[in-house]
Amino acid sequence: MRYTTVIKEMNVLFSGQIMVVSNDSIVIQAFPIYGGRLAQNHTENILQNIAGVEETVPMVFISPLGFEDLLNLVPVNFTMGIPVEHWRLILGPTPLKNNAGHFPSNETSNEVVVGPSVADQYNWTVGTKIVVRGRELEVTGILDTKLALLNRCVFMPLTIAQELFNYRGSTNLITVKPAQGYSQKNLADTIESQIPSVKALTEDERNDMIQPILAQVETWNIGIQTVIFLMSLILVMTVTIMSVSERRRDFATLDAIGAPLTYVFRVVIFETSLIGVLGGILGILFGSLVALVLASLYTNIPLAMFFPTFYEIIPPFYMFEIFLAVVFVCCLGGIIPAINATRMRIAEVLRAEY
Amino acid sequence: MRVKAENLTKVYRLGSSLITAVDDVNLEVNEGALVAVVGRSGSGKSTLLNLIGLNDNPTSGNVFVDDVNVSSLSGRERRRMRLHRMGFVFQTFNLLPTLSAVENVELPMALANAPRKEQREKAVRLLETIGLGGRLSHRPKELSMGEMQRVAIARALANDPEVIIADEPTGELDSKTAEETVSLLSDINRKDRKTVIVATHDEKIVKLMDIVYTIQDGKLRLES
Repeated sequence: MRYTTVIKEMNVLFSGQIMVVSNDSIVIQAFPIYGGRLAQNHTENILQNIAGVEETVPMVFISPLGFEDLLNLVPVNFTMGIPVEHWRLILGPTPLKNNAGHFPSNETSNEVVVGPSVADQYNWTVGTKIVVRGRELEVTGILDTKLALLNRCVFMPLTIAQELFNYRGSTNLITVKPAQGYSQKNLADTIESQIPSVKALTEDERNDMIQPILAQVETWNIGIQTVIFLMSLILVMTVTIMSVSERRRDFATLDAIGAPLTYVFRVVIFETSLIGVLGGILGILFGSLVALVLASLYTNIPLAMFFPTFYEIIPPFYMFEIFLAVVFVCCLGGIIPAINATRMRIAEVLRAEY
Repeated sequence: MRVKAENLTKVYRLGSSLITAVDDVNLEVNEGALVAVVGRSGSGKSTLLNLIGLNDNPTSGNVFVDDVNVSSLSGRERRRMRLHRMGFVFQTFNLLPTLSAVENVELPMALANAPRKEQREKAVRLLETIGLGGRLSHRPKELSMGEMQRVAIARALANDPEVIIADEPTGELDSKTAEETVSLLSDINRKDRKTVIVATHDEKIVKLMDIVYTIQDGKLRLES
């Protein structure tokens, strides 16, 4: 879920832009997560001479992600180097938290703005001095955002990023804004024909590229949910069958004194529903707490810091969905035991006992 | 309520063998009668009572209640008849353990959709009548055997049935409590003119009964 959210957000950030990356880089949505460099000036010069290119912005995107990290539970931090006059290209109207601080003032200033999640994890505030690859940088602002990617990002001037991450004179990502009247697709084709060493990815292509990954993740999600659903169903059913079996004399007695079958059925379903309601509430409380404790342990963010944003981390709608699912599974799991209960006959029960 | 059994037979399978628990039984119980079915354990008396009480289906033969053949009734109609016209007392009391004495007595009335207030009033009255006015909120495990059986009798009377069917009602009781229980059933028969059919192997109970049948290997014989 975490990765699909990040992936889905990536395209929102660069809506309307063509992303130019090296042919040999591995790209997820708009971002080159592995390999591939572009000679900055050379590539930009060619791009700017192509009809229909209104603006180019070089960037450096540093990701510690290897494919082996995709299953890592620990949140990954990204670093982005962006020319200072182009912050808004990726950050849009995102403000700084409490309107405190400022974006890095010029290309050579040792200043960064960071995502709130990163700031929480390392206990950074505006004015904190941090050391990245041996260079001391100052946190000049903390983004006020809920987007997963921005939450985990450190933004710095492009020049500083190029120096720190050995990208002098090169970059791994250039955004191209098409001029009005030019289609992304035609312009991307032209770019690729003029610079054979690059991929020019339109918004549609980026979405198409990611669809198989998203589909696979969705398939896994559905698979896991199905297994959990079936396991829960079997568990509830087994426990209830045992409970009904232990009380077969009671159900047989109800039948003997003339209780309607619907009454007996309702008794069992009511019991399993009650288990669902109580189990759902306790499960959500306990599960949320465990999730927060684990998140706190993995990220070193104090547990107390999660509580103010508890409903953002685990939205009430999800809790309600889970609650309904639990109650539904319990009701469903009660059906077969309830039918069994309606079939208890005093004559058979007593005959079996004596 | 007049109950009649005609050529009643019940055969059931036990492992690979067939057991004839009730074998071609003919029986007639008139309204207001106090009847005992006497037999040793395994003789078929409980099976016979379950057949008469519509708790079991005969393999062959018919049961008539007021000249209506109830063997052909649907399960729903049989349950309705058990709820409104019959009361059951079991050897092991079969009280619901999670309910208090008064709630156990209220249960048949609740199933019959009696008004809530009426349920409570009648349940309390019944329990007070049989001397359990001080044990209303006690759960079965907090009651003695005799008290539990009296609660079971009160429950059987809850919907004012025409017939009480008691299967070994004294089987779990000491002789003094057994006597009290039989005396209670006898009072119910005499004062309220309810038909009472009791299955027992207790000779002391038999002496108090108007009509006594004996049953052996599923065959019923009128004794007195």
